[in-house]
Amino acid sequence: MDPSDPRAEERVPLMQRLFDNVWLLLVAGIVVMFVVYTGWGMWEILTLPAGTLP
Amino acid sequence: MTAPAIGADGFRTCQSTGRQIHAAAEPLIKANAVVSIVTLLIGATAALLLVLTRWQAVHLLPAEWYYRLLGVHGMNMLIFFIIYFEMAVLWFASTVLLNARPAAPRFGWFNFGLMMLGTLMVQWTQWTGRADVLFTSYPPLKAHPVFYLGIILFAVGALGVTGQFFATITLAKREKRYEGSMPLVVYGAMTAAIIAVITLLHGALIYIPTFLWSLGLIETIDPQVYRMIWWGLGHSSQQINMAAMVAIWYMLGALTVGAVVLNEKVSRSAFVLYVLFISMASAHHLLVDPGFGPAWKITNTSYFMYMAVLASMIHGFTVPAGMELGQRLRGYTNGMFDWLIRAPWGDPGFSSLVLSVVVFGFVGGITGVTIGTEQINIIVHNTLRVPGHFHATVVSGTALAFMGATYYLIPLIFQRKVAFWGFAKLQPYLFSLGVLLLSMGMTFAGSFGVPRRHWDNSFQDAMFDVEMSPAVDLVLAIMGIGGVLAVIAAFGFIAIAVKSVFFGEPIGTITRGTPMVGVPHGLTHPPTHAADADARNEELHAPARGWMGPTPGTVILVAIFFVAFMTYYFTNWKLLAFLWRVG
Repeated sequence: MDPSDPRAEERVPLMQRLFDNVWLLLVAGIVVMFVVYTGWGMWEILTLPAGTLP
Repeated sequence: MTAPAIGADGFRTCQSTGRQIHAAAEPLIKANAVVSIVTLLIGATAALLLVLTRWQAVHLLPAEWYYRLLGVHGMNMLIFFIIYFEMAVLWFASTVLLNARPAAPRFGWFNFGLMMLGTLMVQWTQWTGRADVLFTSYPPLKAHPVFYLGIILFAVGALGVTGQFFATITLAKREKRYEGSMPLVVYGAMTAAIIAVITLLHGALIYIPTFLWSLGLIETIDPQVYRMIWWGLGHSSQQINMAAMVAIWYMLGALTVGAVVLNEKVSRSAFVLYVLFISMASAHHLLVDPGFGPAWKITNTSYFMYMAVLASMIHGFTVPAGMELGQRLRGYTNGMFDWLIRAPWGDPGFSSLVLSVVVFGFVGGITGVTIGTEQINIIVHNTLRVPGHFHATVVSGTALAFMGATYYLIPLIFQRKVAFWGFAKLQPYLFSLGVLLLSMGMTFAGSFGVPRRHWDNSFQDAMFDVEMSPAVDLVLAIMGIGGVLAVIAAFGFIAIAVKSVFFGEPIGTITRGTPMVGVPHGLTHPPTHAADADARNEELHAPARGWMGPTPGTVILVAIFFVAFMTYYFTNWKLLAFLWRVG
């Protein structure tokens, strides 16, 4: 785009648009926590072999 | 300048900051802040009795009341005080800082009512001995169903307010109350709100089945599942605090010394790292649990969590560096630390900010990262070192930052002068000193093996003998003295807040350039930059200044921090090697 084009001034960088997207951040925060901590943690507990008494 | 009236559109203009403050938002901010202070009073009263019990030479309470008040202290300090204040911060950030109107304020009162009802239910069960299950309420300990229902109602109300925060900032954008990206302080509040959603979802996931279990509708609750999901609430709730605290750091820096944001991209990236990774710190509490493998533990507490630690260290640099640059742009350019020496140390907002940053970083941050290391955690877990760490973060970090913000909220929102002004200037120092002694005493006692959540350190009725080092009595006395000082300062803060809000002198006219009793320095002397700030800024950023750039004082302070960090970290590995010999 020609730098003299007024639309060039209005173009917001991609990262800024991502960082400004509240809903995207909300979903990303929930997904990362629920996958890496909660989901994986549940899987670890549920796949534990049952203990046997001596 | 005189106090302005409310316009037909519901807004009034703040005489100090020029911000538009909506009439429907103000009472919501006030109500949440006031209840927050009331719960602080309950939590601090319990704290005094608890610290006088753990101080073995005093040993005040009987066992039953020690454990009961430990639960009361935890709920009031870690949940009620902090979250009510955060609700006030969310309303303040989304309306006052964006010059916007609140979304559905009546729904805000409904949510506030739910939170209040939940709070009263929890208080009733705890004080009457129906919920002697500590803050964590681990099964198979079972409380009265009203306790769990109270927490659920409180969490639903808080989740509702969080939803209103998102609605308000969306409304503000749509109504063009701000252009471009939202201000950094609001961005920090948004980060806190997102973490709050993550936290409260975990709360719902675990407390709803536990409530049903307490009613007898579910037969059992798996203790390991409970611990894992509960800590998604218990620890993440403290990460809401941290994001809100950092947002307040940026706000207080701007209000008190004209701090600038060094780099918006860097600071916002750090907040996004919080959103993505900080909640995983919950896994620290499970590092010695047998149900999880090392991959889950290390991924959560190291690989991913260190991204959030990186974010904290970024803020730990950008906040003081922003203050330094702001001061230099105001003309305090001599030497390395002229900007710091000539800062308004008598302004309780400023002193709270600096002490919060220093104690949070040097004590809370360093100990947290160290004891969150899986190997080192084995010599720390369930000792007094753990509360030694989180009193430095949550109390001296978050609570002190909230106190500093209150010294500005009183004149800006409640439009009253700060009462007991002479004491108010000293209060942050006394509070910080007290918490520092408390935290250090706990940390050293824990290093000698003193357990946390334990009524009798002498183990007099135990089936086995436990010999503690004689040094334990000394460090527990330091902890006790620190705790008493901190509680005195907390009571002083509560007295200041109550007197100011309910019986305080109206703020009246603020005469700029003239010190006023009861009005923070940042309001009587707004920290404006010099007329030639642009030229100064260019000069400060000139390549000829070398690698320390425009903020050499902060670079030195950060270097001291890293030396302290490395020393503490490697000392702990050495301690581990002494205790756990291999080969």
